[in-house]
Amino acid sequence: MEQMNGKQKAIRNVLYWGLPVAAVALIAVGWIAFSSAHPELMPSPATVWSRFIKTFTKPIAKTTLLGHAWASLKRVLLALLVAWAFGISFGILIGWNKNARAFFGSIFEVIRPIPPIAWIPIIIMWFGIGEFPKILLVFIGTFVPLVINTSAGIEMVDKINIQVGQIFGGNDRQILQDIVIPTALPSIFAGIRTSVSSGWTTVLAAEMLGANAGLGSLVTRGWQGSDLSLVMVSVIAIAVIGALLSVLLQKLEKVVCPWND
Amino acid sequence: MERLNKRMEVKAVTKTFFGKKGYFTAIEDVSLDVYDGEFLVILGPGRCGKTVLLNILSGLEEQTGGSIIYNGTEWKGLNPEIGMVFQKLALMPFKTVIENVELGLKFGGMEKEERRKIARYHIELVGLKGFEDYYPKQLSGGMQQRVGIARAYATDPKLLIMDEPFGKLDAQTRYQMQEDLLKIWEKEKRTVIFVTNNIEEACYLGDRIILLSDCPARVKEVYEVDLPRPRDMVSERFLRLRTVISDNTDLSI
Amino acid sequence: MNEKQELEVKLQSWHQDQKKENRRYVLLSAAGILTVLLIWQAAVMMGMVNEKVLPAPTSILQTLLYKLGNKAPDGNVLSVNILASLQVALSGFLAAIVIGVPLGLVMGWWTYADRFIRPIFELVRPVPPIAWIPLVVVWMGVGLKAKALIIFFTAFVPCVINSYTGIKLTSKTLIDVSRTFGAPNYEIFWKVGVPSALPMVFAGIRVALGNSWSTLVAAEMLAASAGLGYMIQIGRTVARPDIVIVGMVVIGAIGAVLSLILSRAEGYFLRWKVNR
Repeated sequence: MEQMNGKQKAIRNVLYWGLPVAAVALIAVGWIAFSSAHPELMPSPATVWSRFIKTFTKPIAKTTLLGHAWASLKRVLLALLVAWAFGISFGILIGWNKNARAFFGSIFEVIRPIPPIAWIPIIIMWFGIGEFPKILLVFIGTFVPLVINTSAGIEMVDKINIQVGQIFGGNDRQILQDIVIPTALPSIFAGIRTSVSSGWTTVLAAEMLGANAGLGSLVTRGWQGSDLSLVMVSVIAIAVIGALLSVLLQKLEKVVCPWND
Repeated sequence: MERLNKRMEVKAVTKTFFGKKGYFTAIEDVSLDVYDGEFLVILGPGRCGKTVLLNILSGLEEQTGGSIIYNGTEWKGLNPEIGMVFQKLALMPFKTVIENVELGLKFGGMEKEERRKIARYHIELVGLKGFEDYYPKQLSGGMQQRVGIARAYATDPKLLIMDEPFGKLDAQTRYQMQEDLLKIWEKEKRTVIFVTNNIEEACYLGDRIILLSDCPARVKEVYEVDLPRPRDMVSERFLRLRTVISDNTDLSI
Repeated sequence: MNEKQELEVKLQSWHQDQKKENRRYVLLSAAGILTVLLIWQAAVMMGMVNEKVLPAPTSILQTLLYKLGNKAPDGNVLSVNILASLQVALSGFLAAIVIGVPLGLVMGWWTYADRFIRPIFELVRPVPPIAWIPLVVVWMGVGLKAKALIIFFTAFVPCVINSYTGIKLTSKTLIDVSRTFGAPNYEIFWKVGVPSALPMVFAGIRVALGNSWSTLVAAEMLAASAGLGYMIQIGRTVARPDIVIVGMVVIGAIGAVLSLILSRAEGYFLRWKVNR
């Protein structure tokens, strides 16, 4: 019986650690098999790796992979700063004030269902393909989730929390500042998290449709020049940066909302 | 007991709620007096009325009939001299214990150093010294309610309203809290209105007990409790009072 | 009796007040939208904005009506574009639900499934769906399947994550109770785990729908021969801002309608949830 148990435990252990390894191996083998059968459809891992190295030795559009990554990041960060300032304030406004909600909320509701990517053509028609239109696009893509999350968070604040504020003599501004906004902070942060991933996707789309720098432009360049290894390199870079951003935000949330587990 | 000054008079207060499906009267024709320095217990067995009544007394809600006289003059709206301990605790999860306790002082515009000093005194008063920088979530239910009491005390209210503060605590903690509350009250005398649905708790704490009926809430009976403090919950007189009130109470729950 | 009548009168006036209040909000909302439209129209009419850059609301309305029955400039009447887009978006979206939701549920319930699928999922997840477009186009061309696959990627991730989290949150007590009654594991999964995960699953589906519709535009702008995204793209190429804006408006309207339909369905399926 004891031995059986030991054996079972061993099998469990093997499965527990073996399965993830098997999964990753499966992907690797699948990739290698597919790329050697159809090299024109999929570059092999080795090819992608050497293309990756080459992005540093032989710049594309005058800059390395890191330069392109920075170009994309810079656009997102600039747009995010503006969107955080405007989106959170606007969300607080329509979440707190019923009249503002009726008047501005309706305008927002009309604009909100238009996907950020659908703005790309008109923005390009208006402003060309420079820096400003891209930042504007990312702003649009990040503004919407911020407003939605912030206003929902403000509205959902329990009535009793506001009553506490009233009983303890707070005026409207104090209640908003000391009670309502902090209570809504986890929601606001959820909006910030969504805004970052949405911003990262939008900048990519904007760059794919016309740009001289940025990871999205590399994707298009590789695609049009039938350089699939470059596409793969850029896609992997995009994914890695996206994942890093979301880890970073998780850490940041623990710092900003320490009471929220 | 001497009762010179009436802190508050509640005159024929009625509250009716209107809604899509019709109206609903939660409180009907409630009149009662609150004397300076007394520990008044409002005992309500029912589901309705109690919190609404307190919200009217404190000015959070407006009655649909009757009036509130505070310190001799008719009063409408929020009253800065009233402090409140809430049933659902309603501590701010994002504020530490000391930040919660100083909330009222901060709203009143007091300098940080001074309000910290006052907050610290009250945290010590409720026995939470050393927990100043904890978040409410890190404390037990009883400790959280102590924070609520300290918060209400810190603003130095003339009248302290407590809405079933121990309702969610386990029996053991509840006894401890009742005892400690009386100790605090004896040290820092305030006029207290304490609401509960627990007869034993009412008999243990109250100078007077106002028994409410079930929905709509009306005043059913007023009991003067002349048992000496600290009260013995198994003494014959205590049990007799308890039985009297219990027999007069509307069945509920 | 007298008192009762009095209360009835008060109730009536309360209803009146409520109605007035509601009417005020509706008016304010309409005022908000009207203000924007009026400023826009006035700016164009007074020549502050070039009609070639931003046409007036009235001319956009005209173009919308025109597109209902005319193929120019993109080669399809509006309804054909709408149907093409819907077909792509819904096939990818439905495929993602059919595959993603069960996958997430199974991963959340059985540890070994989780251990095996999770690494693959985590590797694929951070890739924005748009980044798949070039690869998919190279592999499969620009047909319905290719676009539906791209939509699938975008809708798949929230379906899996929410189903996974939802079933992980199943109350331990409920599971233990079922165990005590001797229910086998797969039955507990089916009768306890899945129903309690449903609200989260629906939240995931809602996100998936939003993603599908917005990625669709990207897919069609990069590669298509019909569809709303395609129409917008053509509008840009031939410098017709009115076509572009009509496309945006229609995309927004359909997106709103789709999410409305979904929340109705959610209300129906989750009607046992009282606190809604």
